[in-house]
Amino acid sequence: MTTAKPHLLALGAIVALGLLAALGVRSAVVLDLVFTLLLYAVLGQSWNWISGYAGNISFGHAIFFGCGAYASALCVTHGLSPWLAIPAGALAAAALALVTGFPTLGLRGHYFSIATIAVAALVEAFTRTAPWLGRANGFELPIASGWAALQFPQKGPYVVLALVLFAAAQLATIAMERSRLGYYLRALRANHAAAASVGIDERRVKLVAFAWSAVMAAAAGVLYAQYTLFIDPPSTIALGISIDIALIGVVGGIGTLWGPAAGALVYVVLAKAVALRLGGAGKGYDLVIYGAIICLIAALRPYGIVGTIVDALRRRRGAAIAVTASGAATAVLFAALPAGTARAAGAPIEAALAARASWKLTLAPGCALVPGARSGDFTVECAQR
Amino acid sequence: MAVRRGGEAADLADAGVEALATFAQLLAGGLLTGLVFALVAVGLTLIYGVMDVVNFAHGEFLMLAMYATLGLALLGIGPLVGLPLVALALLLFGIVVYRVFVRRLLAGPPEATVFGTFGLLVLMQGLAQALLTSDYQSAPNPPLQGTLRLGPVALSQATLAEGFGALVLTAALFAFVEYTETGRAMRAVAEDRIAATLMGIDVQRVNGLAFGIGSACVGAAGALLMLSYPVYPTAGVPFALTAFVVVALGGFGSIQGALLGAVLVGLLEVFGGFYLSPELKMVPVYLAYLVVVLLRPQGLLGRR
Amino acid sequence: MSAEPLLAVRGLTKRFGSLRALDGVDFDVAEGSLTGLIGPNGAGKSTAFACIAGAEKPTAGSVRFGGREIAGTPYHRVAELGIARTYQIVQTFADMTVLEATTTGALLRRPRLRDAVAHAEDVLAFVGLADKRYRLGRALTIADKKRLEVARALATEPTLLLLDEVMAGLTPAECAGAVELLRRILASGVTVLMVEHVMEVLMPIAQHVVVIAAGKTIFSGTATDAVRDARVVEAYLGSPLEHGEIAGHAE
Repeated sequence: MTTAKPHLLALGAIVALGLLAALGVRSAVVLDLVFTLLLYAVLGQSWNWISGYAGNISFGHAIFFGCGAYASALCVTHGLSPWLAIPAGALAAAALALVTGFPTLGLRGHYFSIATIAVAALVEAFTRTAPWLGRANGFELPIASGWAALQFPQKGPYVVLALVLFAAAQLATIAMERSRLGYYLRALRANHAAAASVGIDERRVKLVAFAWSAVMAAAAGVLYAQYTLFIDPPSTIALGISIDIALIGVVGGIGTLWGPAAGALVYVVLAKAVALRLGGAGKGYDLVIYGAIICLIAALRPYGIVGTIVDALRRRRGAAIAVTASGAATAVLFAALPAGTARAAGAPIEAALAARASWKLTLAPGCALVPGARSGDFTVECAQR
Repeated sequence: MAVRRGGEAADLADAGVEALATFAQLLAGGLLTGLVFALVAVGLTLIYGVMDVVNFAHGEFLMLAMYATLGLALLGIGPLVGLPLVALALLLFGIVVYRVFVRRLLAGPPEATVFGTFGLLVLMQGLAQALLTSDYQSAPNPPLQGTLRLGPVALSQATLAEGFGALVLTAALFAFVEYTETGRAMRAVAEDRIAATLMGIDVQRVNGLAFGIGSACVGAAGALLMLSYPVYPTAGVPFALTAFVVVALGGFGSIQGALLGAVLVGLLEVFGGFYLSPELKMVPVYLAYLVVVLLRPQGLLGRR
Repeated sequence: MSAEPLLAVRGLTKRFGSLRALDGVDFDVAEGSLTGLIGPNGAGKSTAFACIAGAEKPTAGSVRFGGREIAGTPYHRVAELGIARTYQIVQTFADMTVLEATTTGALLRRPRLRDAVAHAEDVLAFVGLADKRYRLGRALTIADKKRLEVARALATEPTLLLLDEVMAGLTPAECAGAVELLRRILASGVTVLMVEHVMEVLMPIAQHVVVIAAGKTIFSGTATDAVRDARVVEAYLGSPLEHGEIAGHAE
């Protein structure tokens, strides 16, 4: 196993950069972009654990994201702290993962993939019809402010939280690669028979990976709900979201540490670029590009962008080089994106963010709108508890 | 006030007859719907049987077939007449896709076929969304718009044609696989690829043909579906999802299994839609899949 | 050494459809011994091996290991019980280094990675692969791949090591190296049961030989006695021979 140091350094650099952005950057659009990017990276990494490291491709991953988002909405609308939603959503997600995985993770890969589709469809149908889950309308979360309520008027603190989540996901993955779970997953992918002969129980090992993967996605869901303050089936658990997550994972690089981050970067940048050039008529062109990339990767080198780089530079401490290169590319791309550009209409999460601009305000008890210095500016102030 | 004869017993009899009529209607509807699912699923199961690939882009092939049928219809060639043309077009398309793409996937790790066909799905879906309008479009002046009454059961002629066409084509495929030399070669490759190679069978050629024929089945299904369904870019998705479940239920690689599974799914869907709600009609289908995979993963008639 | 054999196989039967691969095989493997399982092609050695290793479930019969019945145990549980195996066609972890592959085996009994790596290092030193520890599995020679498989198996700290035609494809020098390793394995207290075709290597080192033909045990005893046994010779050569013709020289 290669040493973790270069990865830890890279992670530290990214977190530092992100913190600077969170504190220094004023532009809401850029902070929005960073938040979306980090959230997608976490979702991609969560997908990566089961579909990349374990090798069982999940096409229904959005339901775990939805577990967190809906847990958050339910907690808040029932007067509970949204922080409770993290363990609650995580538990629900883990339970769903066990139900989906238990019958299928010892079998050939496609059984699992189809089961994820089936379970996702069932969850979506259930959510759309259950009144306590808001049916097709979903939930609007009441506005509040402060760390206790996990809501903030500015975007900065959200970006910080997203950074924390991203760092946690990366650290967990680094630790996993260097643990029994990681070795066992690698062995299962490398040679199934040999793995069994040294006592590796495929189903049990993969269930653990899948459960953790679900928990990660749920955490992202909680943060998302607290950010957009509006969740409904199309924005959280629809098949399209699952496909997006899978796209990010595959394009970036299945089974690699930095693949999901790279994939999220490509996804967000591409969505923006397409929106800039083609506006609403650009619908579909980004899918064409992703599809082409995925087909090329699958046919030629199934390891994605990061995997290919790492593979090629393996002997020369490729990880460090790959990570630095990705980091540099990220910085360049960010500098190249002009601030205040048009929103992408394609990505569902971004569509929900756009919708946020037009919601009607529901205030949590004890909070009030206070007009700001400039006309049209408002802040929310809540009475201390 | 009308005078009723007989009192309670007659009321029950009336209710019973009505329930029976409803049941018969649902049964017929479910069977016919199931037959169309069978035609979509049978191509998928053939491809899997011969080369171990679940074509996750299967729904997109169906969408392509439906649009091709629409195109022909706009040129004046109706869906029924156009069916052989569309099937042929999809046959060629499938062979090309195999030669250019799927063949390479088979050389990689097992996940490569899963996300490779997934990539194909995304690519085709993107092209559809980019190049075609997202409006629902129907074939202009489709034939067979009448309704047929068989006792208490009312069936649209189009649905009957779809079901009947599906049955004929599925039977034809079965006969092809069972009785022709190419079909036997396919079964040989399905059973043991290496042994088939040793017996002089060109596996790549058989694979390509299987992929092509599987696509042709989807082509025929698409043409038939245009008799009563509209097409739009994501039209293939619900059929594809159903097809996966059908194949899994019936048994991967088994044509008879696909037929059985499809009929079951069709019945579950129609009865589910009626007794639960149209929104929840797929719920019993997916539940059935999970139950089957838990108890008998290889499906009802599958061997793998 | 206790009187109870470490491995006791009784009436082992395995049918594949109508084919009877094993038809009531009986033999014992004494603790601390090196037992050879031999027989002509198609005799059922591999099937017997697979049944003991847990890869196949016997149709009937019993396999007792350390006093416990283990026939039909799920394949991935067998290593935990103390039985490790190698494969006839070597199954490498192609993209893992030698150390990583061995560590994977060591993780069975030592869940903490640090401990597992330390143990793996010891095992690699024991089998003589320490200097190649960072080589990738696919970059090894056949002999080293086999050695690695043995290392991986030994890392699970087995009581019984099952070797499936480990000598196949090795040069005489490599065979000698393998024999030397086997002696060291025995000396460390691990019992060895090996299926083997290369007689020149097996016979000198095997303390006990079991001969299987047509799915039945036809001989169980020392190697020297095996070559003189009429039934064994008949099984290999197909016709009864005069006693004096066995070693190839006339009496």
